[in-house]
Amino acid sequence: MDAHVAQLQMQYRNYILSLYQQGFLDDQFTELKSLQDDGSPDFVAEVLSLFFDDCVKLVGNMARALDQTGTVDFCQVGANVHQLKGSSSSVGAKRVKGLCINFKELCEAKNYEGCVRCLQQVDIEYKTLKAKLQDMFNLEKQIVQAGGIVPQVDIN
Amino acid sequence: MTVEQGVQAVDQFPVGMRVLAVDDDQTCLLILETLLHRCQYHVTTTDKAQTAVELLRENKNKFDLVISDVDMPDMDGFKLLELVGLEMDLPVIMLSAHSDPKYVMKGVKHGACDYLLKPVRIEELKNIWQHVVRKSKLKKMKGIVTNGESEGNSDQNGVRANRKRKDQLEEKDEEEQEQERGNDKKPRVIWTRELHNKFLAAVDHVGIMNAVPKKILDLMNVDNLTRENVASHLQKFRLALKKITNEAKQQANMAAANSHFMQMSSLKGFGSFHHSPIPLGSSQFHGGAATMRHYPSNRTFAGMFPHVSSSLPRNLHNDGGHMLQGTPFPPLENLHINSNNKAFPSFASQQSSLLVAPSMVLEGHQQSTSPSFSPHLEINKRLEDWSNNIPQSNVHSEPDALGWNMFGNSTNQTYFCRDTEFGSSSAAQADSLQMKQQHENIFSPMTVAQLLRSSSANEGLFMGQQKLENGFMASDAGSLDDIVNSMMTQQEQSQAEFSEGDWVWVA
Repeated sequence: MDAHVAQLQMQYRNYILSLYQQGFLDDQFTELKSLQDDGSPDFVAEVLSLFFDDCVKLVGNMARALDQTGTVDFCQVGANVHQLKGSSSSVGAKRVKGLCINFKELCEAKNYEGCVRCLQQVDIEYKTLKAKLQDMFNLEKQIVQAGGIVPQVDIN
Repeated sequence: MTVEQGVQAVDQFPVGMRVLAVDDDQTCLLILETLLHRCQYHVTTTDKAQTAVELLRENKNKFDLVISDVDMPDMDGFKLLELVGLEMDLPVIMLSAHSDPKYVMKGVKHGACDYLLKPVRIEELKNIWQHVVRKSKLKKMKGIVTNGESEGNSDQNGVRANRKRKDQLEEKDEEEQEQERGNDKKPRVIWTRELHNKFLAAVDHVGIMNAVPKKILDLMNVDNLTRENVASHLQKFRLALKKITNEAKQQANMAAANSHFMQMSSLKGFGSFHHSPIPLGSSQFHGGAATMRHYPSNRTFAGMFPHVSSSLPRNLHNDGGHMLQGTPFPPLENLHINSNNKAFPSFASQQSSLLVAPSMVLEGHQQSTSPSFSPHLEINKRLEDWSNNIPQSNVHSEPDALGWNMFGNSTNQTYFCRDTEFGSSSAAQADSLQMKQQHENIFSPMTVAQLLRSSSANEGLFMGQQKLENGFMASDAGSLDDIVNSMMTQQEQSQAEFSEGDWVWVA
């Protein structure tokens, strides 16, 4: 039982480290985790749920704005990108945030194809992150169910 | 809030400080709320600016501080900022993902106490209570100052009486203040850039026609400033304006005059120098109260050039005529600035040389527009000298190091400038390319139409979590917000040294 827990914990630790190393997450995510405590045990999950809800909504808005037959309102797209940038940076979704920065430039340049491509990338990116974080939460659940404690991971 | 509660809250301050948080982004709002709770503040949140205004109007004493996002769909954050500052006179902190200095500038000019960049860190929020203290202290002092003058202050007193919380603070210290007042000699008022900008903002707010010293003094909200100080400053200002506009009218015949230039509302721009070449030392670029740069008051261009060239590219969005656009400098030889502070009368002699200069050098500028620069040159320079340009306490050259070079697009109406997060963006790019290759099999790029149709329901991903021990150190989440934040709050941070042990946990 202990060995199993230890194994899970190691798996968890490695997984988290890899997420940081691969640039999925950044320090802001660390901060989020530090805000979670007994008083708000589901804080990170809650915030991330809201974030992914936002992603769906914003990507939808942007897709609609880019789908205009006729003139595309790049300002509208840009505004959505800006919001996504704000929320992604607040949760520590590093890659999504990075894409938003490029996306913004493309909007300013009114580069239609560039924007469409970037939007596709954003879509892929947030869904990937969602899957990865789901895996992370599942691991946590497994550890708890095995009677262990989710380890804190020192990312330095 | 009852008197007893008010007194109690004051005793435990800043614990329990009542904050109103406004952000249309629900993710950010939740994070902000949690962070604020962690700082032991009492938090009310709303995602609509309009709701925020209603809450504030409903009871002016209900909140101590407002934190608001800049980009909100129902109301511009800056408008909210102005409104709150005027109607309720509460400290307002701006929050934004825009790291662009022009937004920071705008925030400052609209009266923000502080400007925080997203993502917000808890360290930044831990200090915000200082704005409440500062504001109430200023009000107290202002109350003493204006009470000392024999003017009918009944309106003011009435308004202030509504702010019970601050009045309590006032009452407490009134005795001490009165004793101090007797001993104080009124020091000569030096019109620093910061002070002058406040003056400008106040004048701009009431309108130049309506600008009376009393109103300006009230809006400026500066302690140890008398109505007489403001009156004499206003007189000088009016004279300077008159002179400048007269000359400008002459200039206007030379080229297509920019309409912004002539409007009285463009007075605001004097603080930050709207339009084009501000050839003068960079200390004048950042006319905003939190001046971002410190330069010696040596006014010869030769001396300043090295600094200036590195900071030049400040192409700020042309917004309402009070944002500046970076342009190359006119040739130094032609511009000799009188280093005398009270120089503005003597500038008349400099006028011709200044006018000549812009047309010569400005690369990338059409000839037709260059003459119109010169009036700006004039105004900027004159007002600068005239207002006793004095180096500010916020000394920073870091913005240069970041290379905030945002020029390229000059007059288009978009307000998105290039971000300067070069490091992270290039890394992210590399990553995303890599990732894309890895994941192509899993997620094929969807066409826009597919994206539209895709109804990805957000299934409840995250089930019960295990408590994580708090062992993470928060390293800096971004150098940009460090810098901007330090620019804005350097003074304040140095003052706000409190130890957590002094705080009482209120469950």
